[in-house]
Amino acid sequence: MAAHHVNYFAIFCALCGLTAASVVADVFQFNSKIALIVIVLSIATAKALFVMSYFMHLKFERNWKYLLLAPTAILAMGLPLALMPDVGVHYYTVDVPQAGQAIEHEADHSSEEHSSDEEAHH
Amino acid sequence: MGLPIPNSKLGMWLFLGTEIMFFTAFIGTYIVYRIGSPGWPTDPEVTHIRVWAGGLNTFVLILSSYFVVVAHEAMGHEKYTKAFRFMVATFGLAVVFLGIKGYEYYGKITHDILPGHVAESEPQAMNKALVELKAAVAGTGLGELREELTELKNEAAAASADERDSIDGQIADTEARIAALAPFEDAYKKLKDDVSAGTVSALHGAGGFDERLAAIQEAHPAANSVHEPHVILYGNLFASVYFLMTGFHAIHVIVGMIMFAVVIWVGWQQMSALAGWHDYVENIGLYWHFVDLVWIFLFPLIYII
Repeated sequence: MAAHHVNYFAIFCALCGLTAASVVADVFQFNSKIALIVIVLSIATAKALFVMSYFMHLKFERNWKYLLLAPTAILAMGLPLALMPDVGVHYYTVDVPQAGQAIEHEADHSSEEHSSDEEAHH
Repeated sequence: MGLPIPNSKLGMWLFLGTEIMFFTAFIGTYIVYRIGSPGWPTDPEVTHIRVWAGGLNTFVLILSSYFVVVAHEAMGHEKYTKAFRFMVATFGLAVVFLGIKGYEYYGKITHDILPGHVAESEPQAMNKALVELKAAVAGTGLGELREELTELKNEAAAASADERDSIDGQIADTEARIAALAPFEDAYKKLKDDVSAGTVSALHGAGGFDERLAAIQEAHPAANSVHEPHVILYGNLFASVYFLMTGFHAIHVIVGMIMFAVVIWVGWQQMSALAGWHDYVENIGLYWHFVDLVWIFLFPLIYII
């Protein structure tokens, strides 16, 4: 039982504030996509840690929490890592109809970047 | 000996461990697909993804998680009426979440952003519109009218002189109705032939498909059921992962609602009966926080990035 006193309302307010920050990050036009991704996923991770530590009470539980969560975390990262070379980052020339469309699409929308055109014609 | 927690709590945590893997499989797949698909649709006009709806849903779930935690605390202090009220409020917020999700899904369905329904190239878009146009022509009942005409003509051939007058009247009436609808069918056939021949090869621009379609829709209101043709590159993959992730999340919300309904029912029957339900409330609270956690990650991944 919860012998530790947690100010749940304060955690709730922090979560609301972080959610608002995410929405602001969306509205604010960042120069780089990477910056947006890093900021928004960091906010999401912070919110997740708040929920897990305080609402789910994990901060006050014993070490079994690591035994339980470590394998799931490893497997959670494992799947995208395993698929990344095949599906995510193509190290071979992709020969599907959509790729040709994507090249035209990119060529239409950004006249400066011709590198993707050259790659497709290998 | 053993862990200092009830068996049911350990069971729930083990289950949540498997659920983490379940959802990270889908989310990880989405991330990998997205990275591997240059040209993934991100324009909100195309994808019909509303950040305000996602943000509101995030707030709703966070608030519901807070209510669950208050309910659990109240159970610990044996304040069963307070716990009951907060669990009912959580249930209510879950309904609100599903309502907003339903509104979003409705938008997707009306714009035909469904797996397997999205045209990913101009020829596909034109073919899709032609199929819909054909269905619109069939929907006017032209086929049935023609069958009726054939039957009437057969009847007229076999009928006596007196009956023939009334049948001739019906034939004339049916022919008139067919004549009124035939131009629509002719316009559809002409467009279809032009597309096959390559006369109409572009979707937009002068002499393009959408111009011809708009002309048909102006002349024949029955054609308004045809969706405006547009191309969404990787649209089918997008729709597929979108419905996969949010759909499974919504199913988990519904399961959580069922679990809350059980304890709410018990409390509704007799508030003091909640005395033995402390562990249950803690466990469904854990499950509900997990549902909130998944959404905390789904929101930025789907709505913002």
